[in-house]
Amino acid sequence: MFMTVIGALNEGFVQTLALFAVTLAGALPLGLIVSFGSMSRFPPLRWLTRTVIWVIRGTPLMLQLYIIFFIPGMVLPSGNPWPAGTTGRFMAAAVAFIINYSCYFAEIYRGGIQGIPAGQQEAGMVLGMTKSQIFFKVTLLQMVKRVVPPMSNEIITLVKDTSLAQVISIQEVIWAGKAFLKSSHGYKGLLWPLFFTGVYYLVFNGGLTLLFGWVEKKLDYFR
Amino acid sequence: MSILEVHNIEKHFGSTRVLEDISFSLEQGQALAIIGSSGSGKTTLLRCLNFLETPDSGSISVNGSVIFDAADPRTQLESEIRKKRLHFGLVFQNFNLFPQYTALQNVTLARELLAKERGGENRDHILEAGKELLAQMGLADRAGHYPHQLSGGQQQRVAIARALALQPDILCFDEPTSALDPELTGEVLRVIRGLAEQQTTMIIVTHEMAFARDVADQVIFMDGGVIVEQGGPRQVIDHPQEERTRQFLSRYEEG
Repeated sequence: MFMTVIGALNEGFVQTLALFAVTLAGALPLGLIVSFGSMSRFPPLRWLTRTVIWVIRGTPLMLQLYIIFFIPGMVLPSGNPWPAGTTGRFMAAAVAFIINYSCYFAEIYRGGIQGIPAGQQEAGMVLGMTKSQIFFKVTLLQMVKRVVPPMSNEIITLVKDTSLAQVISIQEVIWAGKAFLKSSHGYKGLLWPLFFTGVYYLVFNGGLTLLFGWVEKKLDYFR
Repeated sequence: MSILEVHNIEKHFGSTRVLEDISFSLEQGQALAIIGSSGSGKTTLLRCLNFLETPDSGSISVNGSVIFDAADPRTQLESEIRKKRLHFGLVFQNFNLFPQYTALQNVTLARELLAKERGGENRDHILEAGKELLAQMGLADRAGHYPHQLSGGQQQRVAIARALALQPDILCFDEPTSALDPELTGEVLRVIRGLAEQQTTMIIVTHEMAFARDVADQVIFMDGGVIVEQGGPRQVIDHPQEERTRQFLSRYEEG
């Protein structure tokens, strides 16, 4: 019985990890672009970006999942844009998560960038560096150092938030555990698999915590 | 021909006029000291020369060619400004070293980036030049140290080496010792003095009157955004003609 349950939970956890990885891969860079938008010297762009951030951060991710999954099919004349079946649901979940987390990451990046003294940029400018040279050679690493602690917090939250995707039937680990309450893989009314999913989160987040600690230490060589 | 000519620079922040009708010139190999109380516009003037601020009117010429003219937008193109900045070096009050780079990397970074862009100078040559500059600053044994491992005086000397690495025509100092503990100002002033002896063309905004008198070939006293008095140090510091200059200097003598 144990191995059967573990097998089912593993399958669910692969979904959890996939959503986690896709969200990070999308939201880490997109968040940077959003943060630049929110700091733009062009006011309409700045206000548009800040409004989007306000809406996304101000409403539940669960609601955003529903909206992104259901609304396009209701309003688009071409019908539901999401492919049928698991692929479509996963894509919708990924889009919702990437948009949501980009906005959170953007605010963290913004704090990291704005915390760097203006003198750093000015020093680069008087040394004849281009804007992109200043960003990549001077600002970026200082920003990374500043954002590692808040980012590690947010990323650990993301690991747990992936469980929300079950509202559009993503069969992630908690969904897999909950299935045993009724019946799954030939077993009925099992309670412990649901609680056991917590172990997956704990172990994975433990690993992430170690990783972020290591990164923080790596960046300890400068102040 | 003067290496630098500044004509009628004017600058406002909002409705506050911070610079008014600033004109002066500087000869190759000379050191100009700008003195005056806080808020007199000294720093803003330096920032205008380095294109960190844009004057509202006036013009700046280096070696006889106009590099900035408020009336001529063609002199204010972003792409051009970058190149023109290289006529000037700027040493900041707070050093502004890049914390993630060693002393040597701070000195060589910009030059390596320029070399990569334009081709030419090889990396070893840039590194050698950087080490030499650090040695000249008395920091040969600190090349591998990060800024936070250095004292304020050492950091400022690295910053001077960093500015010199790009071989600017005119090296500007914005109160280079104001952020330092008193016992650390000497080492920085000594280095600047050494540069003056080598005929480095410099503009130094400073509160160190004795230093300005010794090092400068020319002194400008500013107050309320205008040049009140300019001339040789013996004239401006020892025998000021203007009442405002006398008042300013007497505060230093009392203190």
